[in-house]
Amino acid sequence: MEKIKETQGSGQINILQDALKTTIEKVRDEKDEKTKRKLIRQIERYNNRIDMLRSGRRISRQTRKNLVAYSFIAPNFIGFCVFTLIPIVFAFALAFMNWDGSNPVSFEGFNNFKRLASDTFFKAALKNTIIYCVGTVPLTMIASLALAIVLNQKVIGRGIFRTIAFFPYVASLVAITSVWKMLFHPSKGPVNNILFTFFHIPQDALPQWFSGSLCVISMILFSVWKYMGYYMVIYLAGLQGISKELYEAASLDGAGTWNQFRYITWPQLSATTFFVVVMLTINCFKVYDVAVMLAGGGSGELTVSATVLVYYIYQKAFIDWDLGYSSAVAMVLFLMVLIVTIIQFRGQARKEA
Amino acid sequence: MKKKVISLVLSAAMIASLLAGCGGAAVESAPATDVQEVAEAVQEEAPAPEPEAAAEEVTEEAAEPVTLKWAIWDESTTQYWGDIKAAYEAKNPNVTIEMVDLGSTDYMTVLATELSGSGSDFDVVTIKDVPGYATLVQKNAIIPLDDYISADGVDLSKYAGATDQVVVDGKLYELPFRNDFWVLFYNKDIFDAANVDYPTNDMTWAEYDELARKVTDTSFGSQIYGAHYHTWRSTVQLCSVLDGKHTILDGEYDFMRPYYEMVLNQEADGVCRKYTDLKTEGLHYSAAFSGGDVAMLNMGSWFIATMLTNLASGEYDPSLCGNWGIVKYPHAEGVEPGSTLGTITGLSVTSACDTPDAAWDFVKWVSGEEGAAVMASSGNFPAIMTDEVKTAITGLEGFPADDASKEALNVANLYLEVPYGENVSEINSILDSYHGSIMTGEMSIDDGLAAMSQEVSALLK
Amino acid sequence: MRSAHRKEIIGKIVVYAVLIIIALAMITPFLWMFSAAIKSDREVFKMNPFVFIPKVPKWSNYVDIWTKIPFLKFVENTVFLTIVVTILQLLTSSFAAYAFAKLKFRYKNGLFLAYIATIAMPWQVYMVPQFILMRKMGLNDKLLAIICLQAFSAFGVFLMKQFYESVPDDLCEAARIDGMSEYKIYMKIMLPLSKPALATLIIFTFVNTWNDYLGPLIYLKTQEKKTIQLGLKMFISQYSSDYGLIMAGSMLSLIPVLIVFLCLQKYFVEGIANTGLKG
Repeated sequence: MEKIKETQGSGQINILQDALKTTIEKVRDEKDEKTKRKLIRQIERYNNRIDMLRSGRRISRQTRKNLVAYSFIAPNFIGFCVFTLIPIVFAFALAFMNWDGSNPVSFEGFNNFKRLASDTFFKAALKNTIIYCVGTVPLTMIASLALAIVLNQKVIGRGIFRTIAFFPYVASLVAITSVWKMLFHPSKGPVNNILFTFFHIPQDALPQWFSGSLCVISMILFSVWKYMGYYMVIYLAGLQGISKELYEAASLDGAGTWNQFRYITWPQLSATTFFVVVMLTINCFKVYDVAVMLAGGGSGELTVSATVLVYYIYQKAFIDWDLGYSSAVAMVLFLMVLIVTIIQFRGQARKEA
Repeated sequence: MKKKVISLVLSAAMIASLLAGCGGAAVESAPATDVQEVAEAVQEEAPAPEPEAAAEEVTEEAAEPVTLKWAIWDESTTQYWGDIKAAYEAKNPNVTIEMVDLGSTDYMTVLATELSGSGSDFDVVTIKDVPGYATLVQKNAIIPLDDYISADGVDLSKYAGATDQVVVDGKLYELPFRNDFWVLFYNKDIFDAANVDYPTNDMTWAEYDELARKVTDTSFGSQIYGAHYHTWRSTVQLCSVLDGKHTILDGEYDFMRPYYEMVLNQEADGVCRKYTDLKTEGLHYSAAFSGGDVAMLNMGSWFIATMLTNLASGEYDPSLCGNWGIVKYPHAEGVEPGSTLGTITGLSVTSACDTPDAAWDFVKWVSGEEGAAVMASSGNFPAIMTDEVKTAITGLEGFPADDASKEALNVANLYLEVPYGENVSEINSILDSYHGSIMTGEMSIDDGLAAMSQEVSALLK
Repeated sequence: MRSAHRKEIIGKIVVYAVLIIIALAMITPFLWMFSAAIKSDREVFKMNPFVFIPKVPKWSNYVDIWTKIPFLKFVENTVFLTIVVTILQLLTSSFAAYAFAKLKFRYKNGLFLAYIATIAMPWQVYMVPQFILMRKMGLNDKLLAIICLQAFSAFGVFLMKQFYESVPDDLCEAARIDGMSEYKIYMKIMLPLSKPALATLIIFTFVNTWNDYLGPLIYLKTQEKKTIQLGLKMFISQYSSDYGLIMAGSMLSLIPVLIVFLCLQKYFVEGIANTGLKG
């Protein structure tokens, strides 16, 4: 019995090997890329089968390898799939529906998107989000880069400075915004007090930090303050990757500090800057809690001059229960992030080429 | 490969179940209507005299213990929830009331989330405001009570018209158990110190404005504010609907102009605190009034209970705000004094409730005479205002002793802060937003009101 | 030569001056918070003269906050959530990252692309469907919802994968030839090597979970489930003028994150440098 099986097996192996040889020859002659790839996959399959028959295992080595790898990924991927991927797919679908969370869903086509065009609140939110983004991204980038360059030099107390710069990032928003609101309190806060006492700005002209057009500026200032420590650390890591020899060579050539920055530091950091700008932009588009906590007051309502996209998404979804429309606004947000990321990627690729 | 297939199948299944879930809601609302139909059928078949039916109910319930899950807010700081629970359970030993505190800040939002789709296990929910009520009705989350009302012969006239303003398509989905109306609180010590006569129960807005200016002291360090307006839009906008000619759902808001002008002028002259300051601090009106530098505050009658409790417990300093009184809301020229705003708090039965009869009995009891007595005992205003209730409240320890304060509780006309209307939730958001814009000075009064009118009328079309 | 020396000194002075100004700007709000937490309401905004520590410090604010709101409950919830999320995040993402970095398998690129794509996707875009899904699963108003929400982020996998790729392949190959299973290689070789990356991930996850506001706001409704951030916000809207208490609560909410950060910060820059986070 055993013997028969063995001979059967070796017979099969021979057949497979013949098939394998002919396929390999076919690949050599094949010109069309597509069929070529198909044939290569066929070869892989033959190899697997032969491997299986030779070792007498029921599953091939490759399958086993795959299974081991999947077992590594599974714990995270299942959670990721259920709680992130599926909702994302659903979010795309929802943007074309009309649903209040309870009554039956109806298909709306592009109606939700058409509504966007005439919605003043949406337009205000979009405008504010973009202004906030345009203000925050470059300022934070410059501030964190400057700080990183300074802290990358041999200065006394470097460790302490690094730690302090990271404090605001670690602090909770609720706690730290309430401090900011005290410091910038329009009539009692120390900032306006200083403006009044030392700069003799009349009481009526003191800035109302959390209303009107100043509101977005306060948000920008606050965000730069809070997040520059985080991006500083990223820049620090980038700076440490630049070889010291480059600077030594440059200073032998007599390049000054500015030229060193311009011709070594900046180009060497381009990958880091790319990462920082993309992350900053995405995070700026996502702004919600900064706006609500700085400008929202007790009830957390935002006026036209402070409203932002995510606030509008939240309001439409969880207060007005217009889930389809809310998803449509979310799609706009997603598109904006996508466009910025693509532009950045293009720019980056061109620079490297 | 297999893994991929499995994950694909899994995700497909998830999506399918999701989509099924969306449609599921429609199916689920069916049992609720079934129950009603059955109830109706029972009524038609056996129009039994009421006492008998009631007796039947009692014996039936006595056999089966029922637990009602009830959504409320701020259990620790509000006394009447516990009082109501205790009183009702004492009367109905088979019923257990389980209170779930959802917090007051986002109560209606949280509640709407809880009741969306299936999976809710609330039986009775408290309705805090009309926009939230409208949302729940549109979501079919609560059931109409009309059949129960007619079956049990509940006389709606005792709610003095309040229920008429929350009827949706001819159906009523809530019964009010608390009815607050707005009055003017004032600090007698401030008026005494300034040698100015107290406000009266018959003041026009012009007289009120004059009075506020008289007691104001703008000298630095000892500021006294003649008036105080909380950041809600109600404190300004709703003064304008008290003449009975306009409502908040009109879609044309030019009639609010005089009131915005009055408040903004007062703000500019230091008569009241700045809106932007209040917004930055998130200053609560109770903190402002109990601080002893606010002469007059327009606020709902719920603040009476707050004052009584906090003065008694020592939370508020009696030397700052202990000598207080109330008068009727100021009125427009040529309108009868005593016209004021009302805010009703109601109870509804959810469509997910398994024991709607028991839930209805609870709702009926709380909003009825017995519930009213419980509410009044802690200084709150029940939806049924009777002379006994008024005597009970004015007789409470700490209630202002002067006659004007007692007289102030007599309301001539009550307009709801927001009556029910289509899109009331969206209109509310729009009005809120532009109120903020006008008050912070981002928009002029003209622009703000124009924008308000434009947005709302676009919605009403 | 002398002028060059002088230039250097001036440069140093400028650098230090800038550093000190920035450090002051960074730290002032925290000092203000500390100072206001022990002042009475009347002293908080007193500016001339400004006193850092009042004559009679009101330490009682730190005691009162525990009784005015169920602060202990909030702390318990937040600590529980943060610890569970951080552990889960570390385990699952380093596990998955190992496969992506060191193993060859089918659909590797496709799967990894799915992860990368979602990093660019703001959470807010899909928070509504996610909420609906979670509620269907009966997770509404359960702490488990926040765990599911935070524990399986694509970011963690990405960060750990970048780090593992910087570890030479030879190390794994040698171990494989010695007959070690992949699980053993992960446990015995990779995990001990990845301390800096793990420290970085701990800081990010800890800070994010501890300070998250919108997630708990949507999912946690009842009082006993709330986190410190929600509790603080609620407290601020209820006791708006009790600045001392608000600041005391805020101070308390900062302490745990600061401790975690200070303990792990020596690995931090190194961790970021090796995880390719710099780009």
